[in-house]
Order: sequence, then C-alpha cells, then structure tokens
Amino acid sequence: MEERFVVSNRFKLITYALMGIGVVSFALGFIFDAERTWANYLLNNYYFVSLAVGAAFFGAIQYITQSGWSAMFKRVPEAMAAYFPIAAVLFLIMFFGMHSIFEWTHEDVVQHDHLLQHKSPYLNIPFFFIRVVIFFAVWIIMSKLLRKLSLQEDEVGGMVYFEKSELYSKIFIFIIAFSFSLFSVDMLMSLDPHWFSTLFAGKSFIAGFMHANSIIALIVILLSRNGYFKQMNRSHLHDFTRYIFMASIVWGYFNFAEFMLIWYGNIPEETSWFVHRWHGAYKVLFFANIILNWGIPFLALMPRKTSRGKRYMFPVILLLIIGQYTELYYIIWPSTVHEAKFGLLEIGTFLGFAGLFSWVVGTTLAKASLVPKNHPYLEESIHHHF
Amino acid sequence: MYNSKVRGRLIQGDKSFGQISREILAPIDKTPIWWYFAFLVSLGMFGFGLYAKYITVSTGIGTWGVNNSSAWGWAIINFVWWIGIGHAGTAFSIFLLILRQKWRTAINRAAEAMTVVAVFCASLFPLLHMGRPWLFFFIFPYPNTRGPLWVNFNSPLFWDFVAISAYLLISASFWYFGMVPDFATIRDTAKSKIKKAVYGFFSFGWTGSSKEWLRFEALSFVLGGIAAVLVVSVHSIVSTDFAVSVVPGWHTTIFPPYFVIGAIFSGFAMVLTLVITMRGLYKMNDFITDSHVDAVCRVLIFISLIMGTAYTTEIFMAWYSGSDYEMYMFFQNRLFGDYAFEFWAMFVSNAVIPQLFWFKAVRRRMWMVFVISIIINIGMWFERFNIVITSTSRDFLPASWANYSPTWVEVGFFVGTLGMFLAGVLLFFRFIPMIAISELKSVAKFDKPNNGQLKPASHE
Repeated sequence: MEERFVVSNRFKLITYALMGIGVVSFALGFIFDAERTWANYLLNNYYFVSLAVGAAFFGAIQYITQSGWSAMFKRVPEAMAAYFPIAAVLFLIMFFGMHSIFEWTHEDVVQHDHLLQHKSPYLNIPFFFIRVVIFFAVWIIMSKLLRKLSLQEDEVGGMVYFEKSELYSKIFIFIIAFSFSLFSVDMLMSLDPHWFSTLFAGKSFIAGFMHANSIIALIVILLSRNGYFKQMNRSHLHDFTRYIFMASIVWGYFNFAEFMLIWYGNIPEETSWFVHRWHGAYKVLFFANIILNWGIPFLALMPRKTSRGKRYMFPVILLLIIGQYTELYYIIWPSTVHEAKFGLLEIGTFLGFAGLFSWVVGTTLAKASLVPKNHPYLEESIHHHF
Repeated sequence: MYNSKVRGRLIQGDKSFGQISREILAPIDKTPIWWYFAFLVSLGMFGFGLYAKYITVSTGIGTWGVNNSSAWGWAIINFVWWIGIGHAGTAFSIFLLILRQKWRTAINRAAEAMTVVAVFCASLFPLLHMGRPWLFFFIFPYPNTRGPLWVNFNSPLFWDFVAISAYLLISASFWYFGMVPDFATIRDTAKSKIKKAVYGFFSFGWTGSSKEWLRFEALSFVLGGIAAVLVVSVHSIVSTDFAVSVVPGWHTTIFPPYFVIGAIFSGFAMVLTLVITMRGLYKMNDFITDSHVDAVCRVLIFISLIMGTAYTTEIFMAWYSGSDYEMYMFFQNRLFGDYAFEFWAMFVSNAVIPQLFWFKAVRRRMWMVFVISIIINIGMWFERFNIVITSTSRDFLPASWANYSPTWVEVGFFVGTLGMFLAGVLLFFRFIPMIAISELKSVAKFDKPNNGQLKPASHE
C-alpha cells in the first residue's frame, strides 16, 4: 500500500511566495516600527513552534496509549515535528530583538527594580539562550529519534520499533511537559516580568496541543480532499474532533480557573496583567479569545453529525487558527507594543511563517510513505469504526 | 471492531458467558471466614469513630487540636483526602469509556462502589466541623423564616456543598443503574426465595429485552455525560476552598487542575489497592489480569510525573514571584521548616516512589504494586496535610503562629471513617457482583484476536 505524497509545483510556488511576503514584511517592518516587528516575530515563532510541540506530543501519546485508530496518520504529526530545527534557528535570531520586547533585558530598568533584580539569575540573556538551545536540542533529538524508528519500521517491521518508540515517547512527553512549561514562561510570561501565574505553563501547553490537533486534522482533511488517505472514514474524523473538543474544554477550564482565582483574590500584583487587557481593543480580544477557542468549538463540535463531517470541521478549524493568533496577540501585544495595532505587517509576517511551516510539512511528508507500513496497529486503523 | 493480534486478552481462559457469570457471582453464595473477622474489625473501627463523633458533638470542637490559626486541622485534610479517593470511580467509568479503554470493564464496578463509600466518608467531616451539625440544613439555599437568611453564594464552602451533593447523587445513580442487569442475573440464578425476592426488587423487573437495553444505554450515556463534568468540577471547587483566599501557598492559579489530577491519582492508587485485594482474596485473576494491573500502574506513572511537575512548578513560581510571603511559605516553612517531614513524605511518595512502575519487574510483582499503592495513598494524605496545615500555622501575624497536632478525638474520627470505608467495601464484596458482568460480556465477544466482524474499509 505504497502511498506517497507528491509536492506539486503549485504548492511549492505558493509556499515560496508566502515566505517571500514574510521576508518582505519583516524587512519593511524595521523601517516603520522595530518594536512591533519583533513582537510579530515572537508571536509567529511561538505560534508555529507550539504547533510542532503539540504535534510531537500527539504522536507520543498515540504510542503510550497504544492507540490503534491513529496509526494511519502518524506521518502527519511527524512532519509537523520536523519544523523544530528551523524554529531553533529562527528563535536564535531573536537575540537581536531582545531589547525591543523583553523589559527585563534593560539593565537600567533592572537596577531600579528589586523584583527584577531578584529574578535576574533566571531572567538574563545568556541563560535565556542557553535554555532555548537546550530545549530545542532535546526536542530535535527526541523527534528525530522517533522519526527514525518510524521509518525503520516501514522497512523491517515487527514489534521492536513500536516498543522502542513507546519507551522514547514516555521519556519525550515528560521532557516536553517540563521544557515547554519553562519555554512558555520564558517567551510569554516574562514579557510582563512582574506578573506570575502557576497555571500559565499549563494553559500555554493545552493551547498548543489544541491547535496542533486541529492542524493535524486540517492536514489530514486537505490530503484526503486531494485523494490521499483513501481509507479514512468518519470514525477517524470523529476521533480527531474528540481531541480538539477535549483540549478546547480543558483550555476553557484552565483559563477560567486562572481568571477566576485572580479576580477573586484581587491582589494588585496579580490583577495588573488583566487590568492591561481590560480596556479598548484588548477587551474585545479577551472575549473573542474565549469565543474562538472555547465557545465555538465546544458548541459546534458537540453534535455527532458535525463532529464526523469534514464540511463542519473545516470552518471550525479555520476559526481555531484565528483563535490561536488572537490568544497570542492578546498575551503579547499589551506587554510589548502596548497599543493594539494590526495591519499588513502582521498579516504579512504570519503568511510568511505559515508558508515556511507548510513547506516543511509538505516536503517532509513527501520523504516517506504517507501511510506507514508494518505498524502493528495499522490494520486496526484502516478498519476503524465505532 | 477489529483487534490487532498484538493486543493482549482481556479475559483469560476461554470462558463461556455462563462461566463468567458463575465465577463472578460465586462470592455472593458463600462467605469465607476471614470476611466475618474483617467485618468485625471494621465495625470496631467504625464504633470508635462513632464515639469520637459523640465526643465532638456533645463537648464541641474544642476537643480537637485545632486552634485560632489552624482552624481546619485533620478534619479538612481527611475531607479532601476522601473526596480525592472518591474520584476514581467516575473517572474510571467515564474517562476510560470515552477513551475506549476496554480493560476498564473488569474494574469499574469496584471503583464506582469505592467512590460512593468514600464520598460518604468525606461528607461527614465538614458536617461535624460545623460545630452544630443539627443546623446543617442552613446550608440549603431556600426561602426561609430565618430573616430570610441566605447562604453566601460567593463562598466556595457553599459551592462545595452543591458540587459534592450533586456528585454523590450522580455517581450513586450511575453505579446503581449499572448494576440493574447484574441484579437480574443474580435473581435468575439464585436458589433461595429471599434472595430472589430481594435482588428481584432491586433489579426493577429487568428482563433484558432489547428495548430495555436501549433505554439502559441511553441512561448511562446521559448520566455519564453529567458525571464527566462533575469529576472535574468537584475537586476544582474543593481547591477553591483554598485558592480564592489570599493566603500564601494557597492562592495559586494551578490549584484547580492540580487538585483534580491529585484526586485521580489517589483514586487510582486506591483502586489498585482494592483490585489487588480482590484478586488475592477472591481469585479473580482471570478477569483482573496482570495486564489490567499493568495498565493502572502506567496511568499512575503518568500522573505521578504530572504531580512532580506541579510540585516543582509551585516551588519555582514561589521563587519567581519574588513575593516574600510566598518564598517564606515554600522555602522556610514547607521545604525546610517544622513541617519539612510532611513535605518530603509527600514529595517522595507521590513523585519519586511511583517511578518504580517504570520497571516491568515491579509492575508484575503484586506485593510490590500493592505496597506502592498504599504509599501513594499515604503520600496523598501528606499532600493535603502540607496544604492545609503549613499555610495556616504561619499566617501574616507572627504573634499568632501556632503549630498544630491532632488529639485522639480527631484521630478517632478518621479511624472511624476508615472503618466505615472498609465495612462498605466488605459489604460490596459480599452482596454485589464485584465485576460488572454484563459489561464484561460485552467485551468478551471481541476479546479474541480478529474475532470482530471485518468491516469494509471505506463504508461511508
């Protein structure tokens, strides 16, 4: 059952064009507003790396739980995780923009602020980049290892590779949980260096996982529209929906828990973060965030009919793509650019990153058989029905 | 449904449906000697608890070790601990059902029974802690002649009351309705007339027609949907008892999910304790196989890692916040203070010792699994101690700092609930089929590799 994804010239052209738009908007951004450009850069960088992390987690979870249904699609999360090496380079480029976005990098500010002095053993530029390097190193090593085992299984078969993958997956999810927690603190929470919330890492993690699930489903749907994954049926779609649905509920739960407890405690050092996001355009985004990431998926994906149909899932996924952008904009902008500005610069940078990500996913998918061979649960996946 | 060859068997020994019923129902017909002995012991503990409750009510809360700073003491520790244990049943039934984990069928009945008893045990603590338990109905919000005096709807203690009573109601109904077909099986096979009449009464005249099964499934579906929400909401709300305050160590946003995960952790550990006991005492090895225990152990490692991450997150954030009070609470009070033993007991038994489950050799040795499950239960008790006591014993006013130690009355109260739990579980072993027969049969059909019908690949 050799099924190979072929990268069409059209796909290549589009992704190159998008990347071009991205580079142009990034370069032009420095002429208009350097601060905003770096904020944009951080947002999109985080956006796509959280998708890769979420996809890697999705893949690992399938091994650990010995899920049968998803065996057929495992190349998709693998391809998304192939984005790590490029993301690592992109994050290192951020070195040049640190002063524009992170308040704690300004030595004169830190000198007059005892809280920032207290945090300086953690929040300082060398250690920040040491962490970035370590995180990406482990993510790249682990995802490459799993990918290698998966490709070897295609050729040799047997239970050996599956069992090894299961073991690595167990180690990987622990590494992801630990590293991505600190990563989200570094990249997002430290934008407002006085503020802290213990649930922030969990919240960021589930946001990444939810959106990664929806992108996995989106890629699968798009591939099946183009004639791949012929064995895919509605039960598979239903299972993808369940992942999105579950993560969306957890997302809503975490956001509610954080907001409610801070609102109830009403301590200025904690409420300050929400106070900045409680007027003007940000207040609109506050509600848009909840509606896009929780309200719509929760209501739209609940009925059996909508949760099993591509036609219904597709628009919800598109809204979730906007939802993740909204959430990150809502987190990053009030702490960096302060004013809610949105224009061609934002759209262009996003398109650039989206093009790059699609290019990585597309070319990686084309490198191996789209449907894995010799996976012990492949038959279960093909005959999946409930 | 299609099963790969690599999946293990859920039921060992190629049993027929009749055989499954007979083997699971066997304990209902004859009672072993140890059962009477164990029941007597549990009644003794229960009696001791009753005496402690009598002292509490007749003399007052003053007989407890609580003081002005630590006003909550063992009662709230035990309340949270029991509620946590009471999470496993529904978590098992619902979450594993949603995840299509078929191995749950051998364990869910026991887990649900345990849930109901544990929630009963838990509810006693706040009730007696009110001081005047005969006025407990004041907590019901209804138009009354006392003013009217309404409850404080902003108080998490009231939310607690609502959440727990709803949870008790739903989990008890879920458990009971699941048993109806099994009661009918007992009715149909029982020889004594009394037994036939009693189980016949409880089975609601179940005949097993397809219409009845249809309604049964619809009911389970609806109740399951409600219970799934409640599993999360109950312990989230219990956590708000602490987290909405501005007490250092309590006011932290991670609390709701952290409590829920902890609750499922302790619940699963208690399930493990229970099913290993069942295996040992009633020879249920064919139904609760090594791979069932193995699966629970794997879940426990996973949760244990989450617990470890949560503990370290809390410690890291206490430092990161730069708040003097938070730092004092964690670094001087919890990690290295008067209650350092309790902190490290919690950390080691919840985050470190369960890591032994990584080794297959440990997971396959029942006595080791049993011991670790007990250690987790104790560790989770220490977690609640750590939360409840350390924060209140050192509040913002150093003049009112006071250490806390329980009196025999509080200990007796706790022992009493342990006795109650034990008695409940023993009665469950004795009178109720401890494995859901009808559900087990539903998976038995597909338990042979490739025995399910092979559906055409693209049928839709």
